[in-house]
Amino acid sequence: MSAVSLSILVGLLATLLALPPALFLGWVLERTRWPGRGVVYVLVLLPLVLPPVVTGYLLLEFFSPRGMLGRQLESIGLPVAFHLAGAVVAASVVGFPLLFMLVSYAYRSVDPALETVSRSLGRGGWETWWRVTLPLAWPGVAAGALLAFARALGEFGATIVLAGHVPGETGTIPLAVMALMDVPGAEQEVFALCGVSIFLGVLAVVGFRALDKRHRTRLELDR
Amino acid sequence: MKFDLALSLTRPQGFCLDVSWSGDVDALALVGPSGSGKSTALGLLAGVEKHQGHLRLDGVEQAGTPLHRRRMGHVTQDALLFPHLTVMQNLHYSPWAHTLHGEGGVKEADVIDALHLEPLLDRRPRHLSGGERRRVALGRALMSVPRLLLLDEPFAGLDAQRRRDALSVLRHVRARFGTPLVLVSHVPEDIVGLAEHALRLEEGRLVANGAATSVLSAGETRVDNHMTGRVQPDGRVEVDGCDLVTAVPRGITGSVRLACFAHDILLATERPHGLSARNVVETQVTKLEEAGDAVLVHVARPAVAATLTPDAVSELSLAPGQRVFALMKATSISYLGPS
Repeated sequence: MSAVSLSILVGLLATLLALPPALFLGWVLERTRWPGRGVVYVLVLLPLVLPPVVTGYLLLEFFSPRGMLGRQLESIGLPVAFHLAGAVVAASVVGFPLLFMLVSYAYRSVDPALETVSRSLGRGGWETWWRVTLPLAWPGVAAGALLAFARALGEFGATIVLAGHVPGETGTIPLAVMALMDVPGAEQEVFALCGVSIFLGVLAVVGFRALDKRHRTRLELDR
Repeated sequence: MKFDLALSLTRPQGFCLDVSWSGDVDALALVGPSGSGKSTALGLLAGVEKHQGHLRLDGVEQAGTPLHRRRMGHVTQDALLFPHLTVMQNLHYSPWAHTLHGEGGVKEADVIDALHLEPLLDRRPRHLSGGERRRVALGRALMSVPRLLLLDEPFAGLDAQRRRDALSVLRHVRARFGTPLVLVSHVPEDIVGLAEHALRLEEGRLVANGAATSVLSAGETRVDNHMTGRVQPDGRVEVDGCDLVTAVPRGITGSVRLACFAHDILLATERPHGLSARNVVETQVTKLEEAGDAVLVHVARPAVAATLTPDAVSELSLAPGQRVFALMKATSISYLGPS
């Protein structure tokens, strides 16, 4: 698989992997109050400020064939370290705080009074989330997913540690560029990959802005 | 509905509510100055906030029932329509809305008709005016077939004409669906027009309770008489068998809703002559009712009330059964809309 299609595949899978926990944690932290919430916040946002290489190293401790989770996953035929799954996990973890923050922002902009009305009209907590909270928050959630996808495209540090550079399996655009820089006469290929990166990045940011605008209109914030 | 309330709540900011009352009424008003705890008490009835004490409706304790099983039609001041749904989808939101056919006599078409929602059904809430939003919110609450309607300042922010119109619609809804209601309002006309019984709250405490007219303080009683009638070929409107000259615009036909303030109606014990008032109707006193520092004199047909001072009542020796003439200016009988 080429570096470009591999990058897109890893980005998509990483975003899909991060979405359910981001939706769940975002809701829990926005809509409930309990001691220890602050600690969870710090843990969730940590990958945003840690050097990606450190994040990668910690993940490797976890997911290597001798790690706590790695052993289990390997035994069911899903090796993570130095496989495609590793690149997905690395991109997912590093992009998670970004997704989480935008999902939280999307939830926060939904008036809790609408959820109360929904419940007083006979819809329970889960149904209210599905029928009111998520539909109102979704353009914001989608904007967050797009940004997390863009972040995954650019992920390097944690990926190289956890997944290494296995061309066709974990060799995403940044890793391919890094490898090609050492190859004499590969400047054109490097340029092409840079061009694709810029194109995908612009697409993601434009999409993010459009979704964010839609989110605001939906919630009547820009009326 | 039988109410048995002992609601007690202390907010961290220092606000305290402590209201105990029991009674059997179908339309209850909570009155009092702003900050007196009316809306908070209404929210406790709805179940949106936890409280101490008890809350029994028709003998059943509500405190342990989660919000989504209480079946309270809580209509808040800001209508809180779901912005991503059309008016029709908002009306259908409650799971009970899908089972309402026949139940309690409430039908979707009735709700849409009573609240004049037909032209709005495909619109999104952001394309509705404030009054329309409130009508939809009321419709959505009615569609959930609530055991009790809880209305928080249902007419706030409407101008005088729209307010009279909305009040008339709500009276119509009440007559049609018969759902018991609790109303919060600081406007005396709303309370006298809709509720039988009122509780006056001040600083979170119950300071007075009684018939709606008696709980209002002096000078607060402005009763609005609402009538329905049929336009006759000569332009007059037939109300309770009386042909009245009214302010109904030309060209309007069929059933109409009218309103006339009680203080705009004069009573005379003999037929007066040489008057500008277009309507002089011979009728009978049915009831005298104290209302603040005035007396409401109810007459048989048209079924309206006139506000008189106690002095005027004693000078005319008014008593139930007595024959009187009700005098109404054509311009004081306002046209509210089709019925």
